[in-house]
Amino acid sequence: MTEPIIHIDHVTKSYGSFTVLKDLCFSVMPGEKLALIGPSGSGKTTILRTLMTLERIDSGVIRVDGDYLFHMERNGRLVPADEAHLHRMRAKIGMVFQLFNLFPHKTVLENVTLAPMLTKGVRKADAQRRAMELLEMVGMAGKANSMPAALSGGQKQRVAIARALALQPRIMLFDEVTSALDPELVEEVLNVMRMLGTQTDMTMLLVTHEMSFAHDFADRVLFFDRGRIVEEGPPGDIFTNPRNERTQTFLKKIIAAGQRI
Amino acid sequence: MGDWSGYIGLMLDGARVTVELTVLGCALALPVAFAAGLGRLSRFWAVRALALAYIEFFRGTSIFVQLFWAYFVLPLIGFELTPLQAGVLALGLNVGAYGAEVVRSAVQSIGREQHEACVALNLTRWQGLRHVLLPQAFVVMIPTFGNNAIELLKATSVVSLISLTDLTFQAQVVRSQTGSTAIPFLTVLVIYFALASAISFGMKTLERRMTRGLDGIRH
Repeated sequence: MTEPIIHIDHVTKSYGSFTVLKDLCFSVMPGEKLALIGPSGSGKTTILRTLMTLERIDSGVIRVDGDYLFHMERNGRLVPADEAHLHRMRAKIGMVFQLFNLFPHKTVLENVTLAPMLTKGVRKADAQRRAMELLEMVGMAGKANSMPAALSGGQKQRVAIARALALQPRIMLFDEVTSALDPELVEEVLNVMRMLGTQTDMTMLLVTHEMSFAHDFADRVLFFDRGRIVEEGPPGDIFTNPRNERTQTFLKKIIAAGQRI
Repeated sequence: MGDWSGYIGLMLDGARVTVELTVLGCALALPVAFAAGLGRLSRFWAVRALALAYIEFFRGTSIFVQLFWAYFVLPLIGFELTPLQAGVLALGLNVGAYGAEVVRSAVQSIGREQHEACVALNLTRWQGLRHVLLPQAFVVMIPTFGNNAIELLKATSVVSLISLTDLTFQAQVVRSQTGSTAIPFLTVLVIYFALASAISFGMKTLERRMTRGLDGIRH
């Protein structure tokens, strides 16, 4: 039997007196597409940010691809990970942000080539060739020499996806990647993600408010509320036949707001 | 009245010393500003403390006193400096302290999301600083650096107190030899203003060049 690629074990995290993750446990299998849904403040974005090591945890253990994320073993004991360990672990994970976070002083092509050249020592010509393939894949090759400021939100987000893919992560985290987009630009980004979902065996975790996309895309849906997973299952079950009262209320509100599921 | 051409020559000599002090002072202030400004953002407590101590000391004491220390007190502990060296040292360290705060605040003004992108792309702290944060922060620094350079230019006049023959010193010479006050000081005024305008213009040009493309147009 295959091992989970992500294993989250009794993880707790607080911001002051507000507990954002409460004794959280779940696993993700390699290649699994996971949708994290729930009201804002429920902890779903925090879990992605924690996996990217942008946030630390207060207690518990996270394992990624067989290794501890925030710990390392020394003389048989678990000690906090040092920067070199975090650096090794981050190489397995890529992240796409709600606000794109492109480098505004670099061209589209430079945005995609920078990290492979710096972190993997890829030669410039090779990095550029690979970057052009990725930009081609997300439909942005024609804008390779543009500056990010000249792009629409949807275009920026497609470049950001190419930039994250350039490091060939095993796990991709998508944090509300369409939430900042004008409605007519959402679909072009979702199309790219659909393609990644079908054409790669990457493990993908996405936090989203696009319920119909989550329904079609995800193998499994986790419903978060107040730092806990209150319900999980295949999208067919969660969306059409939610058992938990809070899931029901949440989905009713979403439908009332006009979304189709 | 034939003496005036000689006096003009004297003033231009003084202007050359002033320019030299300004250029060398800036050449010292700039790396010091980056070292201390980035030192303030260090992970290491001792580096932060050292940078802070330097900045607060040089901002909190008078440039006169600093200059006198460099020229009169350092020789007592074995560091003999020429007037020019003492002037450059005092000016560079003084203005470098102000510049350090410019560097620190500019780096901190770059949004957290840029820093997070660096982490997500697995850049080391230094790589992120070098390739992502500093190039963007530098654009923010330029206008204030321009101010600092002009401050440094004007502060060079204090070196006349350690008998360096800068512009202000020469104006005093001309004044005492001709008995005319208005003309040498008017000349000095014009020359300082011209030099400051040159710095201003240079900085504006640099800023325009550095921000090109950030508004959506590639150079």
